[in-house]
Amino acid sequence: MHGFISQISLPSLLQQILVGLSRTTILFIVASGLSLVLGVLRIPNLAHGSFYMIGAFLTYSVAAAVGGKAGFWVAMVAAPIGVALISLVMERGLFCHLYDREHLMLLLFTFSFTLVFGDLVKIIWGSDFRSVSIPPVFQGSLSIFGLPLPRYNLFLLVIGPLVALGLWILTQKTKIGKIARAAAVDREMVGAVGINVSLVFSAVFVIGCFLAGLGGALVAPTQNITQGMDHSIIMEAFLIVIVGGLGNIWGALLGALIFGLTDAVGILLWPQFAIVFPYAVVVTILMFRPRGLLKSTW
Amino acid sequence: MKRAFGMFVCEMVFIVLMVAPLVAADPIKVGIVDCYTGPPSTYTNDVRDAFQLAVDKINAKGGVLGRKIEFTTRDSKFKVDLGLSAAKELIMREKVNLLMGTINSAEALAISDLCKTEKIPLLVTFSKSDAITGEKGHRYVFSMNENTSMAGKAAAVALSKKPYTKYWIGGDDYEYGHAIADGVWQNLKKLKPDVELLGQTWWKVGESDFTPFITAMISAKPDAVIIATGGKNCVPFLKAAETTGFNKRVPFYMHTATELSTLQPLGMDAPEGVLGTSNYFFYYPDSPENKEFVKEFQQAFGRPPKVGALYGYITAAFIAKAYEKAGTIDTEKFIDALEGMTVDSPVGKLTIRPYDHQVMLPMFMGVTQKSPGYDFLIASDIITISGEDVMPTIEEIKKSRGQ
Repeated sequence: MHGFISQISLPSLLQQILVGLSRTTILFIVASGLSLVLGVLRIPNLAHGSFYMIGAFLTYSVAAAVGGKAGFWVAMVAAPIGVALISLVMERGLFCHLYDREHLMLLLFTFSFTLVFGDLVKIIWGSDFRSVSIPPVFQGSLSIFGLPLPRYNLFLLVIGPLVALGLWILTQKTKIGKIARAAAVDREMVGAVGINVSLVFSAVFVIGCFLAGLGGALVAPTQNITQGMDHSIIMEAFLIVIVGGLGNIWGALLGALIFGLTDAVGILLWPQFAIVFPYAVVVTILMFRPRGLLKSTW
Repeated sequence: MKRAFGMFVCEMVFIVLMVAPLVAADPIKVGIVDCYTGPPSTYTNDVRDAFQLAVDKINAKGGVLGRKIEFTTRDSKFKVDLGLSAAKELIMREKVNLLMGTINSAEALAISDLCKTEKIPLLVTFSKSDAITGEKGHRYVFSMNENTSMAGKAAAVALSKKPYTKYWIGGDDYEYGHAIADGVWQNLKKLKPDVELLGQTWWKVGESDFTPFITAMISAKPDAVIIATGGKNCVPFLKAAETTGFNKRVPFYMHTATELSTLQPLGMDAPEGVLGTSNYFFYYPDSPENKEFVKEFQQAFGRPPKVGALYGYITAAFIAKAYEKAGTIDTEKFIDALEGMTVDSPVGKLTIRPYDHQVMLPMFMGVTQKSPGYDFLIASDIITISGEDVMPTIEEIKKSRGQ
């Protein structure tokens, strides 16, 4: 074990960063959705992880039902939309009546949904492990600096910035984005100028959950689709959102970058304690900036 | 009228006389505590279902000692405290004759402690900590499955024959991961003293993306890697190994790599040539007993049996045969009967070693391979390592118990 650190070469470090960046993509997509809902609706949505899990399971089912090469792409579109539809029913049926309640109440409410969704997934998909094949175009790896970089990770590296761009356009350039930003700051005022805040909230909630579903769909080919996916992602997503600044989408991007990169580099530098590495960084950041790195909307 | 009444009385007396022995013979009650929530349930459902299959067969033949075997399950959700309180409840309220379960080693050890004081037999199904029948073993605990030191010994024998000297260990950072890694490494060092450990990587249970771990291990350039990961982590690990071409660069051993629960979900996306060990395959051994078992299980539950099914099935077989031999439902006589008992199973005759109450299960070592007729990879080039060869010696058990 001795002298291992000195063996780490620049290529392996760069390669590790590339791998870390593609992992960041998933974290960013999921965390940005969570942050959006948190910022505008003020709902700490613990069920966000469940939507991610359902997104992955739907991807499995759609890909299996359609089959062939097209299956993956159909699933990639259908699964997040499916998740968005579920969240629409949930928002219109329940959450839209609860916006005035205190945060703790909402927290408990979304928590109860993690249990409900967890059981639903168990009833519908059972307890066996599931896996989705990577589409043939992205199978295998490229050799970069003599080390393998999976082609699918490259695909994720392209998707990440696209989602970020889409979110920027949505929040900065569209009317609904502007209203949502205004509603995040002062809900009553937006209502007072005659805008149906409730509908805007509904749209934001659905978009946030769509992102969770998209994250689940994108991650599906790289991992084991199983119960419990919701728990692991929701913790990481909340950490990222807290580090970045509650409700700030760019904070989510920054947080995801910090988390994803420290994780990947930590695995290379300090393999025995890789688990601790990203969390230690998060704690350090929060010690100096307890409200997160970027401006929180809370 | 009077006569009809007389007939009625006669009939009643007759019925009572007929039923009396059946009423008097209370059923043998088995309590199963296990995790039926979340990913571990893919393993535990098979234990329960195969146990049910075997028990139904036994009961259909009139049960044991004229008693039916009944069982009831409790979901411990992989939590030690829930498992322990469920075990207490089953002993105190349900008055079970014996307990079985769990897949969580810490939980099995906690319940084992309780069973020691309550003097209730515990037949462990699936927990792989070797402490159960080793260091923490006692009169009332039995293990129906292989453990980390058995798997470690089997793997070490195979690896010691390969030309590798520089090793890396990567695993799940919890009891099972460390135990299996220790098991392989300690045995390997004994068999081949010149092996060198370059370093170790430990990831969390439920880690989802193994690509960064694999690339980091490749850059350390070991000759071979021991992967000490289990349960749901096996699937994404093999997936990442296939995408990164890990096993083409560095050969690796992973204990449960060849198991159906790992390979079936991956379909054709699993890497070939990964070395793994398991107690059971539905396609191996290719014996009439196994075929019969697979057919029955498939008919009853619509899926092929996984390794847990073997554990559930033999547990039922041991329980029935031991009560039969004891001739009474007395716990102490049941345990005496179980010690050294042999039953027939889908993998051949299996015996419980009297000293440590460990079933001497053979270990099947093989490599993953695509095979015509299967839409997932299966284990091939299977070598059977007999139970006697992988068991820790009685001296080792005594030493671990401080005797």
